[in-house]
Amino acid sequence: MISHIVRKEFMDVVRDGRFRWCAALVGALLLVSLGTGWVQARNAQKELAAAQATARDHWESQGEKNPHSAAHYGVYAFKPRLALSFVDEGVDSYTGTSVFLEAHRQNDFLLRPAQDATPAQRIGALTAAQVLQHLVPLLIILLTFGALAGERERGTLRQLLATGVGRLELAMGKALGASAALALLLVPAAVVGAAAIVVGSPGPATSPLVRGAVLAGIYLAYFATFIGLSLAVSARAPSARTALVVLLAIWVVNGLVAPRVAVDLSKWLYPTPSAIEFAHTLEQEMANGVEGVDRPDRAVVTQNLLAQYGVERTEDLPINAIGVFLQESEVFGDQIFDRNYGALWDTFKRQGYVHEALAVTAPLLAVRTLSMGLAGTDVEQHRHFAAAAEQYRRDLVERLNGELTENSRTGEVYLASADLWSQMPPFRYDAPEVSWVLKNRALSLLMLGLWLAGAFVVVTYAVRRAEVA
Amino acid sequence: MESGQESRIENTSEVQTVDESETLADSAGAAVAPVLEARSLSKRYDEVDAVVGLDLRVGPSEIYCLLGPNGAGKTTTIHLFLGFLEPSSGSAHVMGLDVAEEPLKSKTHLAYVPEQVMLYRNLSGLENLAYFAALGGKESLPTDRLTEILGEAGLQADAVHSRVSAYSKGMRQKVGIAIAIAKEAGALLLDEPTSGLDPEASNEFSELLEQLKDRGVAVLMATHDLFRAKETGTRVGIMRHGRLVAEMTTDEIGHADLERIYLEHMHD
Repeated sequence: MISHIVRKEFMDVVRDGRFRWCAALVGALLLVSLGTGWVQARNAQKELAAAQATARDHWESQGEKNPHSAAHYGVYAFKPRLALSFVDEGVDSYTGTSVFLEAHRQNDFLLRPAQDATPAQRIGALTAAQVLQHLVPLLIILLTFGALAGERERGTLRQLLATGVGRLELAMGKALGASAALALLLVPAAVVGAAAIVVGSPGPATSPLVRGAVLAGIYLAYFATFIGLSLAVSARAPSARTALVVLLAIWVVNGLVAPRVAVDLSKWLYPTPSAIEFAHTLEQEMANGVEGVDRPDRAVVTQNLLAQYGVERTEDLPINAIGVFLQESEVFGDQIFDRNYGALWDTFKRQGYVHEALAVTAPLLAVRTLSMGLAGTDVEQHRHFAAAAEQYRRDLVERLNGELTENSRTGEVYLASADLWSQMPPFRYDAPEVSWVLKNRALSLLMLGLWLAGAFVVVTYAVRRAEVA
Repeated sequence: MESGQESRIENTSEVQTVDESETLADSAGAAVAPVLEARSLSKRYDEVDAVVGLDLRVGPSEIYCLLGPNGAGKTTTIHLFLGFLEPSSGSAHVMGLDVAEEPLKSKTHLAYVPEQVMLYRNLSGLENLAYFAALGGKESLPTDRLTEILGEAGLQADAVHSRVSAYSKGMRQKVGIAIAIAKEAGALLLDEPTSGLDPEASNEFSELLEQLKDRGVAVLMATHDLFRAKETGTRVGIMRHGRLVAEMTTDEIGHADLERIYLEHMHD
């Protein structure tokens, strides 16, 4: 029996010119945003790969040089665009795509696309994720607001129920009918998306198809939630017009109000220092140290070395005391960086928890977090990359300081051979597995699951209690 | 009301006592179970009694016409049989099934034609019929048979494949009747089915009811049309303020009698 309802609903919707126009518009926007996103992501990835190669080339072409000077010469690490970043660019535009790695400093990220965007681009940028998160729910509302309220208004509901069809069967048939109509635009988009990943992945990622499949599942759960809510409102609203108004209000809260409130509330609960404040604190602590983290004293380091090796003059040391001091300075700096950046990242993480918890008020918050996570463009994966780049910096600087320490004596002018630079392994980044992403976003998964289950319960209750006439 | 009991409605001198066992006897005089039965059925909305203690039985091959002014409780009675409303007390039964307890099963025996048959504008008459018939359990009816049923209901052949958005009220009503025919239900509930139909269509409709009656269908029809009630009904009940105030068999009274009795009750 449900199949008849599904078929009829599908036919009814597809024959409706209003749906055809809306679906064509949303479908076109979705395909265009997927296409442009993919082209942009691929171009960006090509540029990053070229820049990474150039940076490596510069590094290897330094010629003879003191290793610590090479550490100051530094290298760039470029954040790769992951395979699904064309679907959801997340916070990539704001976090930057490259970082300069050098001795003594943990630098901020550079090359933020948002900095270069024109005002028009800032307003008009449309990603596939935005279409899926905002426009598809709107289309669902337009498809389903009259599903039961309209039937009641037209008088067809009582005729339908008089046939002996169950209310839940009717609601299920309507939900599936609307889903079938939506599939007309979502299936081609999913095929295009999958083809984009398989045929020409714009960037690396672990198991991109698995990420894509999970992402598709997340969006399907989101759409199912909206269909359920929409049918529930339609079942209880006194008229189709009232149902539409209520659903549009829900859409506004979900898409516009809740995200803004989540950002403001999370910042209010867990404030982050301004960039100037942060830089000032870092500078102060680097200059003076803090309790438990003391700036190394060169004289003390030298005295300890003399005592350790049982000699009286630094020239008699078998190693370069300056190299040891430089590395101790690095370790000190690293502790200061860990302290400050760690606190900053932890604050971001707490803000993220607030954001995820507030998904209880709007499913979009959960979906947005999961979407960015699976696309590899969220703050957590930026942190993952930043941590990998910072670890590389520390390892590189330690190795260069070690070269200086082990291969020269204090007071000597030491130049490492040109071969040394190519012996330093290039920076290589492995994006986290999909399980890492889902574990990190367990709260959002839970919230989306609650919304889906809640929508099911609400629609069941509402349909059972719906007035017939 | 138990079989064999007399109607609780007092007779007027012009109206014979209606004995339930008599009413629910077939042509050979054998007692038959009622298809539709209301037992002390009541429905109260806030402070208003829509139906009060209704006892009613309609057997196979009976056309029971419920007469009464607007607000008398006719439509509410039909909605109670359809399970659209929960009774405040008492019960409605279809083929012995309590509607409140077995709403879906009881509907398998019911067909319903409302005052305004509303259909899906984007579908044709045939598609509408196929859809409603399928939901009513007649999923395997071939297109030829569906077309034939539409013809039986009086819909012109050239309108069968047209979208319903171009249909007149009368044409929609005919599709509604076709839906009822297709279901082949044991009971037919009609709520002012001829309202707005032209005389010719109303007459065709009456003939159709006769055919359904001959097939053993029990018909409960709410109507304002005293003439049609006398012509097509086998029994007539008059409702006022939610109560069944009079009940009579139509072959024992004339048109004028019915009108007089109706008016008497309306002016009590």
